[in-house]
Amino acid sequence: MFVNRAWQHFMFSLLSAKTLCILILFFLFLIPGCRTGEKWHTSTFLFFDTVCEIKIFCSETASKSAEQEIKRVFSEIEGHFSPGIRDYASQPVLELFQRALNVYQNSSGCFDITVAPLSKAWGFFNGPLHVPPSNEINALLKHIGMDKIKEENGSLVLLPGMELDWGGIAKGYGIDLASKSLIAIGIIKGFINAGGDLFCWGQNPDNQPWKIGVKHPRKSGFLGVLSISDLGTATTGDYQRSFIETGTRYHHVFNPRTGYPAKGKQSVTVIGPETLLCDALSTALFVSNKPEMIIGKYPEYGALLIDSNGRISVIGKPYPFQPLK
Amino acid sequence: MDRRGFFKTMLATPLLTPLLLASKTTQGNCELYLIADSPQLFISFILEELQKYGISTGRNFTLLNSHPQENELRQILSQKGWQYIQNPSMADIAISFSSLRQDAIPSFTLVRKGEIWDIRSKKLYSLWKEMNENRNPSSCLTIASLKDKPARLFPGESVSIFKDGHRIETVSLKESQSKSFSARKGKITVVVKDRKAWIGESSCSHKICLYTPPVSFAGERIICAPNHFLLEVQGRHSIDTVIG
Repeated sequence: MFVNRAWQHFMFSLLSAKTLCILILFFLFLIPGCRTGEKWHTSTFLFFDTVCEIKIFCSETASKSAEQEIKRVFSEIEGHFSPGIRDYASQPVLELFQRALNVYQNSSGCFDITVAPLSKAWGFFNGPLHVPPSNEINALLKHIGMDKIKEENGSLVLLPGMELDWGGIAKGYGIDLASKSLIAIGIIKGFINAGGDLFCWGQNPDNQPWKIGVKHPRKSGFLGVLSISDLGTATTGDYQRSFIETGTRYHHVFNPRTGYPAKGKQSVTVIGPETLLCDALSTALFVSNKPEMIIGKYPEYGALLIDSNGRISVIGKPYPFQPLK
Repeated sequence: MDRRGFFKTMLATPLLTPLLLASKTTQGNCELYLIADSPQLFISFILEELQKYGISTGRNFTLLNSHPQENELRQILSQKGWQYIQNPSMADIAISFSSLRQDAIPSFTLVRKGEIWDIRSKKLYSLWKEMNENRNPSSCLTIASLKDKPARLFPGESVSIFKDGHRIETVSLKESQSKSFSARKGKITVVVKDRKAWIGESSCSHKICLYTPPVSFAGERIICAPNHFLLEVQGRHSIDTVIG
């Protein structure tokens, strides 16, 4: 009798513990759609000299943590890579330099972070915007080229007159770091859009892939709509920072070989798994006159090119894009 | 649709290669290639999945030739909300059938301009696997040609003005007006006329906002970074955000 009772008691306790565990698991993991208080949060910040838009699906508390995390990551990126900062030895700088060098080599120098002296001479750093004399541009070309930079004792060594411009890669790097952090803290869907460089993950509020409008480089309205998820994208255009002198438009994307703004395209949008590479490749493809050769080295990346006549072409991996007429 | 699996099962079939190469000539279109003796069992499901990727947004279809089970196919598609139309030039999806000269393992893939479009859908992958595991060869090839429909945009109703990340005002696009706001670098003026909005005056140094063409569609925006100023057209959104 006693044995029987003890056995019943033991079985009951076991059952209760098991039921309790199942119930806890059920509420915590099996019904994520019912996680309490989760909704869409949108916020905007100012970083990288542009407006950054964030949209994430999470609780109020998680949204606050996410905002703090994004601000922390972006501030750190600004601290290392803003114009004028001469950090050549920190771990993020050395890491990003290697990534930039790889794109420099794969693009035959079309993407080059040493164009800073050119940007300065044309007035894109602190103004005034103007066309420098050709002898000044030719003199500056000897300070251009990532292959001239050496890495010694854990620090980059630049030749006299050289300077770095991280503008074509650091924003993408920051977005990748921030989105990874957000995913790590359990935010399952959202996007970070920092002035046109973007990473989106999960699905949009209609449970569809994110619908990203690509701005027309010349006209009002959009060129078309990308439908993507778990991907980054970045655009380089001749309209983003430019000035007109004697009837000619001069923009901020330089051909490192000539020292003059690159010709032949109005804009390039790159889509792929890493925003960092989208960012760097959009510049490389914009500058290059053989963009197919560059994108061919990155099988997971695709690009929309708009040439100087406004014609659209798609190269590399095709991603869902609906053009607008 | 697994790329490696596709090569193993479909591209290895020499009779399909000319078809894939021929699809290079169809500019801007996508083709769904389906090897199955009963296409009606699969096509509506695959099309539904593809629509989630923004491929073929339209809901009407036509049949370019006949198939023994075409009535069943029409019925299944209409039950799922597709409408049959006769005129192929008006159709969003044009479906044709042909016999393979050599039987092949049931399979499907999506091709755009001669290249395989790798759709990472769990549901499509499961279907593809299931069809592949059914080792009974099929002799019918179905090609569904999907028109790239232009995405739809909606005219905006109003413009919202944000300063330092906070909405400070919403202005109707229906009334012509000009409003000035104090901003970080001085003054910025928003002009509304003919249901379009633009920046008429700005104290910033870049002047990018001044050169930005007028905005009128829902979701369009103009940013003045030095002034921490954002103007966004409100209305029925068909897009989630803007790049470029």
